[in-house]
Amino acid sequence: MIDIKELKKDFGKISVLKGVNLSINEGEVVVIIGPSGSGKSTILRCINYLEQPTGGEIIVDGISLNSETNVDLVRKEVGMVFQRFHLFPHMTALENIMLAPMKVRKLSREQAEEEARQLLAKVGLSEKADQYPEKLSGGQQQRVAIARALAMKPKIMLFDEPTSALDPEMVKEVLNVMKALAKEGMTMVVVTHEMGFAREVATRVAFVDEGKILELATPEELFTNPKHARTKEFLSKIS
Amino acid sequence: MNLDFSVVFKVLPLLLEGAAVTVEITALSVGFGFIIGMLVGVARLAKMRPLKWLAMIYIDFIRGTPLLVQIFLIYFALPMITGTRIDPFFAAITACSINSGAYIAEIFRAGIQSIDKGQIEAGRSLGLNWFQTMRYVVMPQAFKRVIPPLGNEFIAMLKDSSLVSVIGFEELTRRGQLIIAKTYSSFEIWMAVAILYLIMTLTISRLVAYLERRYNVDDRH
Repeated sequence: MIDIKELKKDFGKISVLKGVNLSINEGEVVVIIGPSGSGKSTILRCINYLEQPTGGEIIVDGISLNSETNVDLVRKEVGMVFQRFHLFPHMTALENIMLAPMKVRKLSREQAEEEARQLLAKVGLSEKADQYPEKLSGGQQQRVAIARALAMKPKIMLFDEPTSALDPEMVKEVLNVMKALAKEGMTMVVVTHEMGFAREVATRVAFVDEGKILELATPEELFTNPKHARTKEFLSKIS
Repeated sequence: MNLDFSVVFKVLPLLLEGAAVTVEITALSVGFGFIIGMLVGVARLAKMRPLKWLAMIYIDFIRGTPLLVQIFLIYFALPMITGTRIDPFFAAITACSINSGAYIAEIFRAGIQSIDKGQIEAGRSLGLNWFQTMRYVVMPQAFKRVIPPLGNEFIAMLKDSSLVSVIGFEELTRRGQLIIAKTYSSFEIWMAVAILYLIMTLTISRLVAYLERRYNVDDRH
């Protein structure tokens, strides 16, 4: 589903990704962990071209990311959820979800609204349809953001530290939505510090440090029997 | 020196007519300037290099040369190329609109750049193209932020529009000149003209402050 080969990314003189290789199958949930600044978010952002790779190749669902039109094609198939939600503040929750389906998928207003209401129900926020983002809690905003991404009917969902900006009591409601999504068979790539989620939901966990994937294994293997010294060190610090 | 302000009351209707023309030319120029400024402001931030450069050349040229010279260029120099005389009204509106457009373009650029980059990323990641992201996500948010500087631009244009008196276009300043040519009451008339400008600018700044308050309330949705 996603094929990343020798992905490199420099910011000026700083090399953030130094050759990342990762293959993700359909229906997989790959969780990327690692210390901050290791480049895990950059990998995610390269997948839908929010960052332009300096080198290497990314193929998403058979489409190679190399021209502007392909980038638009890929973005239609890949949904993204951000750490800081980035809901559109001048639109209600419902309008946030309806915008892209109407403008990109060219749905009628009625059809877009019907789908948007179903998605809001799915993330448990039917009664918040007409609220503006500012009136919602962080957890609620993030669930609307997930619904907004799902409205494009993506084949792949990317989550960039989706719970890092949330108060602790709201983390669970967002993780529950993500778990439900994984159960439905959505292909997901998740950058997170929530090791419980990784253990429970991930098919594989990737440990990233200094711009490389140092270890890639099933959660049982990686958490109970880490091979790499850096992985052991990281895991011992966070648990 | 004998000052006689009764002359002001005699010619007040004439001056008020001039003031109305000043408001008209300002409103038209800032109106056209708004459209020009919005497009050029967006073009200034476009990824397409030639578009960006064109926008920059326009903004730099207009902001780097006096409005008076721009008025002369359009009223006197342009007809030498085209071969047809231009009506002073048309020349005045054109010069002021083009001038205002450059300043408003910079206002829009600043307004757009003040919007969180995450908003653009969210729009693009949903599959909206750059133009759609601008139109539906960024611009509606930028509009609220450009109201105060737009108000300032309106006030600046209202005062600068007095420059079109030099091509004989009869707005408030030109009316004042013509009345003085007949009555010789320089001080009284220029004072009256100044006070009329002041009344107009103060009214506009109050109006802008009101709009700002109203939109700030809306912002708290």
